[in-house]
Amino acid sequence: MSFRLSFSRELVLLAVLVVLMVVMSQLSPYFLTLSNLLNTSRYFVEIGLIALAMTMIIITGGIDLSVGANLALVSVVVGFSFAAGVPLGIAILLGLLAGLVAGLFNGLFVTQLELHPLVVTLGTFALFRGLAFGISDADAVSNYPGWFAYFGQAYLGPVPGQLLVFVLAVAAAWFALSRTSFGRYVYAIGHNEEAARFSGVPIKGVKLALYSSMGLLVALAAVIYTSRVSTARADAGLGLELDVIAAVVLGGASIYGGKGTIAGTVLGVLIIATLRNGLILAGVPSTWQLFLLGVLLIVAVFLNEFFRKEE
Amino acid sequence: MSEAGTTPGGAEGQTLLGAVLRRWFLRPEAPALTFLVLLVAVFSLAVDGFLRAANIESILTQVAVVGIVALAVNQVILCGEIDISTGSMLGLCAVAAGMAATATGGVWLPLLAGIVTGALAGALNGALVTLGRVPAIIVTLGMLYALRGVILLVTGGSFVTGIPQESRILGVGTIAGINTPVIVLFILFAVVALIGAHSTWGRNVYAVGGNRRAARLVGLPINRTRFLAFVMVGVFTGIAATIYMGRAGAVQTTAGAGLELQVIAAVVVGGTSIAGGRGSALAALTGAVLIGVILNGILLMGVPGVWQNFVLGALILLAVSVDAVRRRLLGGEGV
Repeated sequence: MSFRLSFSRELVLLAVLVVLMVVMSQLSPYFLTLSNLLNTSRYFVEIGLIALAMTMIIITGGIDLSVGANLALVSVVVGFSFAAGVPLGIAILLGLLAGLVAGLFNGLFVTQLELHPLVVTLGTFALFRGLAFGISDADAVSNYPGWFAYFGQAYLGPVPGQLLVFVLAVAAAWFALSRTSFGRYVYAIGHNEEAARFSGVPIKGVKLALYSSMGLLVALAAVIYTSRVSTARADAGLGLELDVIAAVVLGGASIYGGKGTIAGTVLGVLIIATLRNGLILAGVPSTWQLFLLGVLLIVAVFLNEFFRKEE
Repeated sequence: MSEAGTTPGGAEGQTLLGAVLRRWFLRPEAPALTFLVLLVAVFSLAVDGFLRAANIESILTQVAVVGIVALAVNQVILCGEIDISTGSMLGLCAVAAGMAATATGGVWLPLLAGIVTGALAGALNGALVTLGRVPAIIVTLGMLYALRGVILLVTGGSFVTGIPQESRILGVGTIAGINTPVIVLFILFAVVALIGAHSTWGRNVYAVGGNRRAARLVGLPINRTRFLAFVMVGVFTGIAATIYMGRAGAVQTTAGAGLELQVIAAVVVGGTSIAGGRGSALAALTGAVLIGVILNGILLMGVPGVWQNFVLGALILLAVSVDAVRRRLLGGEGV
């Protein structure tokens, strides 16, 4: 029953995406060209990667507001350790480690002190961003060796390299969430944490794993981002958390926990990316985009909760 | 006999003292207030001129905008809801106040414009949460985007400038030698503290946030209580926006960006529980002042400005951790 319902919701999202694409192709002749669509993917992969882990965290009833700040932190760690003379390969590893540790830090606060994730990640939102500003002294690092561009600017034929990374990550996240006991635990915690605890679900372990994986995925996105824009700056990823949460919630995940799918989130990411790209191509001022995105978010959740109630 | 006589007396004295201390530490704002007193002591020893009246007044003037919004958001959080739209809302209210000021001048019309704009935005938040049944974090996240979009649409991306001096009084004026923002902050604090403790709505807020099911079963107006809390955020944000406009002298399209997090930080650091039902107006005020004191203190101690966010984040985490440990030690009492 619930499977059929969530299936139909994804179908609705798919229909929305198709309608949106038709509208956009009417607004701009360039929209529905293969090169434009593939190019768009260069911009949504970073949001998409983070949205995968965010989906699982939101399914457990949690949230992570610190992802944008963490992205800036990783970007700055990579850029400034490289500028300090560390070989770039090691600098990238340091960045991935920093992201992982940052995620683990969130996870430890959430599990060991049993604090609400909203409060913890609000604190680390300021902490990570502040650390990024402190390390970089509000400066920027560019001038990377040529091969660094490989992460964010490479093409395999017409396909941007990071799109392949995203596809692999989607497959892995889908498998983990719907084909493993770990995925079952995630839903169990979101449905009823108390019941999950009494059923022997290792709640702290699952949450720790989720927040740590989030850190690692953010770090991966940060490396791709830094390579794409060829700059490490402490103000990278400002407001990113809002785009990510909007995509996940648009995809049908319930902020109350227990509900959400990877397929839905991917559709949510695509819809937001289509909207942004299409509106830019159609020459709609960016001011309207903010407004539309906000209204879209509220309407999407309103419809979600409305149907939930019917159910 | 004499031993038996003194021991119970001593024990009684101890338990009385213990009970008083225990009662004090059960208050939600106790850790933050204690921390604030300690910090003021440390800073006044470490930094020359920290404890001067002028510096204290300047700290309070700087925290007035955050503090006023925090007093209202505190009520929303007590209801078990959240409002993260205040940054954009403050910007929009400041634009409204600024436009009224450039059009007509005077003090009251800009203030009214700010308050009405805020109240409308707050009412929209409240209606979507209560009637629309959309989770508050989503509604106010969406409004954070949408209202910033409205600011850009209304202003066309340019600053509101040419605000006459007379309209800036709420931000830069003085009453009886004290900066107006400080006076407004303390008047509003007194109002919220009174309403919170002595009005039906104030008590309902605690009931709705503490145990919503119980509140529903005893027939409390849950939706009206939450709706009014959201409207209150709008009204207070409107007042704060007029102060902001007065202090800044012009309104940028980015006005208020990031305010929402400072406000929630103030409320949570002050000791109001994010889960609702537990906290006080004094907690919100203490949190706002505490953050102001820390930012001012580290600035005076010569810590570079780029580390401010880091200190703020560490402080939030420290405050909520202390609260978590304290609750555990007290075994869930007063939670």
